[in-house]
Amino acid sequence: MINLILALLSGVVGALLTALIPAKNDRLRTTVVFAALASALIFSWRTALLVFAGAELELTFGLAGLTWRLAPDPLGAMFVLIASTLWLVAGLYSAGYMAGKRNLKSYYSFFLLANSITLGVACAGNLVALYLFYELLTLSTYPLVIHERSAEAVKAGAKYIIYSLSGAGALLAAIVITHALTGHSDFTSVPVLAGQTGKGLNWLLALFIAGFGVKAAIMPLHRWLPEAMVAPTPISALLHAVAVVYSGVYGIIRVVYTVFGPELMSSLTFAKALPWIASFTILVGVMIATRQDVLKKRLAYHTISQLSYILLGAFTLQPLGLSGAMLHMISYSLLKVTLFFCAGIIAEQTGETVVSRMGGVGWSLPKTMAAFGVASLGMVGMLPLNTFWSKYYLMRGGVASGSWPLALVLITSGIINAVCFIPTVVAAFKGESQGRVHLESGSSVSLMLVPTVLLAGISLLIGLWPGLVWDGVQAVVNSFF
Amino acid sequence: MMTSWTTHLPVFVVILPLFVGFILPTLARRLRLVENLVIAVEVISFVMAAALAVLLFKQNGSPIPYAMGGWPAPWGIRIIADNLGVLFLLVIAIVGLPIALYTKGNLREEVGGRSRTARFYALYLLLMGALAGMAVTNDLFNVFVLVEVATLSACGLVSAHRNPRAAEAAFNYLILATLGSGLVMGSIGFLYITTGHLNMEFAARELAQVWQHSPHVVWMAASFMLTGFGVKAAMFPLHVWLPDAHSMAPTPGSAVLSGLAVKGYLICLLKILYNVFGQTLMRHFTMHHVLTAAGIAAILAGSILALRQDELKRRLAYSTVAQVGYIILGFGFVNQRGLAGSLFYLASHALIKSTLFLTAGAIISATGKTKVSELAGVGRKMPLTMGAFTVASLGLVGIPLFSGFVGKWHLLLGSFESGNFAAAAVILAGSVFCAAYLFPILRNAYFQETPGENWQDPGMAQRAAFVLLSAAIIFFGILPTPLLTLAQRAAADLLFLQ
Repeated sequence: MINLILALLSGVVGALLTALIPAKNDRLRTTVVFAALASALIFSWRTALLVFAGAELELTFGLAGLTWRLAPDPLGAMFVLIASTLWLVAGLYSAGYMAGKRNLKSYYSFFLLANSITLGVACAGNLVALYLFYELLTLSTYPLVIHERSAEAVKAGAKYIIYSLSGAGALLAAIVITHALTGHSDFTSVPVLAGQTGKGLNWLLALFIAGFGVKAAIMPLHRWLPEAMVAPTPISALLHAVAVVYSGVYGIIRVVYTVFGPELMSSLTFAKALPWIASFTILVGVMIATRQDVLKKRLAYHTISQLSYILLGAFTLQPLGLSGAMLHMISYSLLKVTLFFCAGIIAEQTGETVVSRMGGVGWSLPKTMAAFGVASLGMVGMLPLNTFWSKYYLMRGGVASGSWPLALVLITSGIINAVCFIPTVVAAFKGESQGRVHLESGSSVSLMLVPTVLLAGISLLIGLWPGLVWDGVQAVVNSFF
Repeated sequence: MMTSWTTHLPVFVVILPLFVGFILPTLARRLRLVENLVIAVEVISFVMAAALAVLLFKQNGSPIPYAMGGWPAPWGIRIIADNLGVLFLLVIAIVGLPIALYTKGNLREEVGGRSRTARFYALYLLLMGALAGMAVTNDLFNVFVLVEVATLSACGLVSAHRNPRAAEAAFNYLILATLGSGLVMGSIGFLYITTGHLNMEFAARELAQVWQHSPHVVWMAASFMLTGFGVKAAMFPLHVWLPDAHSMAPTPGSAVLSGLAVKGYLICLLKILYNVFGQTLMRHFTMHHVLTAAGIAAILAGSILALRQDELKRRLAYSTVAQVGYIILGFGFVNQRGLAGSLFYLASHALIKSTLFLTAGAIISATGKTKVSELAGVGRKMPLTMGAFTVASLGLVGIPLFSGFVGKWHLLLGSFESGNFAAAAVILAGSVFCAAYLFPILRNAYFQETPGENWQDPGMAQRAAFVLLSAAIIFFGILPTPLLTLAQRAAADLLFLQ
């Protein structure tokens, strides 16, 4: 219990301290930020391992006339592990990327605050608490989106807020209906709505999906995401490729497996349409990505496509599909953060943000582009990388659910992914190495490079030895089937 | 005897501000005394309202009646401190005290002149007395008298500002509000002709038996009542006077008008609709549909109009139009959850909107800027003021753990219970609109900068007012149970549920 509380509080306390430290005192701020991130990481891991070991952690509060519950289960613990680990990595990268930039105080305060809130999303034990953290996540990440303070950033921020709050509105409606139907919304081993009948449940499911779908960037609710790329790169990498969007994905998995439950889901008409909605987003997202010339935009549309891989796995309602979804949740997050980190290094060191002008950049940034290449292969789903395994299980899940075309969707998407990334990697090593300036030396670059290469390495490791994460994945699957 | 002072509480709570209000203009030379007297009245009112609430909870919500002059009804005037009345008395007291604190030491600047200031205070207390009267009244003619007192003192408050445009706004308000009073008066006349009673309980009993003899007259009475109070409570599209009046008034005036005065008329309307006409007649005349439709229109139109205003106080004034829509919407659900949600929302909005107006006034007087787009960097320079503004904004948007959320939650429950999904969608859309017109102010204030200006938080009394109000918004967001119980019991009373 104490681990859970400390994991959740580390970020908040760190944020408050950061806000109190004078803006000029960089050294003290860095110390506080890393202390907070490390403490969040340690206690998150302890919490998660306890949960995987079968401990039942539960905290309830009676506030605002409702019950608020924190009770991480294996699914939540999985999200906790991904979020807290990547947060520290992104913090490390930030130390290099943000060095010498403006408004660091507000950057790090909200960066830490968002950590606590994301862990809150993961640990929420009922819909009301989940809604609270989901809403707070929007508010706490908004200042990070508009960090540049430019007109473009303000516009993107407004779009982000409006989309997210509209989604939260749909979600609130769904939660109130759930409460009216059952009187509670606690996540337990019995699905919240188990035993309910009626056609209205299709609409309720649609409300839930629309609510979480905004953050999970299901098309056509995705428009805020590409624009949010005006944020600093570590934010794009961590929040808009993983934490924020995963809170939507996580919410949908919760709804499917804990609120409705596979049994009830399989009886709903709308649930049958969901894998196809996800497939549409997968294909269209990656196709649009291929046409983007600005690297961060390309990555953003690619994110939209990849998130629906996870959703597709969850929507198959098969243990195999869910295994694939969980594997992809882990694998994709590692690779995507790597890609964004690379994009950030390229932009910082060469000033280049457009893909078509990145020819030969690999000779100046060999390690960066090597990591980029590894991650690109991963996005295609090639064997030595972790995503191979997730795609394999996603396809098996699709086939097991009786829709073999879903496997075809994934294969097609893999090919488009190759078109999307491989040419860039090849082009980066075009031309002569002679006469190029080597741009990978200096302390701030190494601070960015170390986490990037580290993540690419971990992805390879999991690809070669998937057993590393398999137990966790199975724990999640077994908690629902 | 201990009981002797508590038995008279329902009437003291009304006459204390009225009597003190009348002597204030004679004390114009001693302005500090006037200020302290007003604060003292507010403190005593708060204590009395709290005492009434405690009494009410002790007897599990059964109303506390009081026969004026010892004459029993229907011959004498009977006032009743029931759940609804005590809820509103509490709201008046909780909002009134910070507003009085805010005026301490800085009202003269806005109003000008000692005697003008003293007269402002006199009108302020008259308005507070009238509102307290609306909370406890149980008599149709008293409703009219109180409405008139409130309207005239409200007009005075609007015109108190030295700005000539304020006089114009007050005049417009006066004309329209008098029209509203006329309609209310006419309606009361119809009811008196039909039933022969002015006491609400007796009139209701009589009306239930005789309305079928003259259904058209009763229908006229109902529609006059709705339109009359609709004008006064700024029910869209009868709101045209509100943006000018509420934005032109001096800051505490705006706060009390938007926060409390509008609510007083809504409480009167609620009492007459449910206690005199009753839900059967309301449904018969499809008044609940009119109310929901008006609520939906108000939320959408008010929000969109608010979005288009660049002047801070006007934006807040249009926001009031939208928020009144939520309350009316709840009146139209005709079920306990919806009504309780609506009443809680009424209380919450009273707190939030007065906070917003007071902080906006403080910002305007510190910076001299009235436009939203000019307020860059206020957040860092006036942290306490902007902090209170932020709390109120989050409350109005309906972020969980702020008071607005509780109200919206129950309104949503009510709308689903009545099967009105469109209303639920509008309630939620209203929150998004609300964020759209309030958050840009916060963004400018915190994330932009205006270098060189030396703006500061106002004085101690004003800061205390801001702290009290924001604390109340958070308190009722986290621990809504006492207020919510009152609201739920009041709703049950209105629907005659046991």
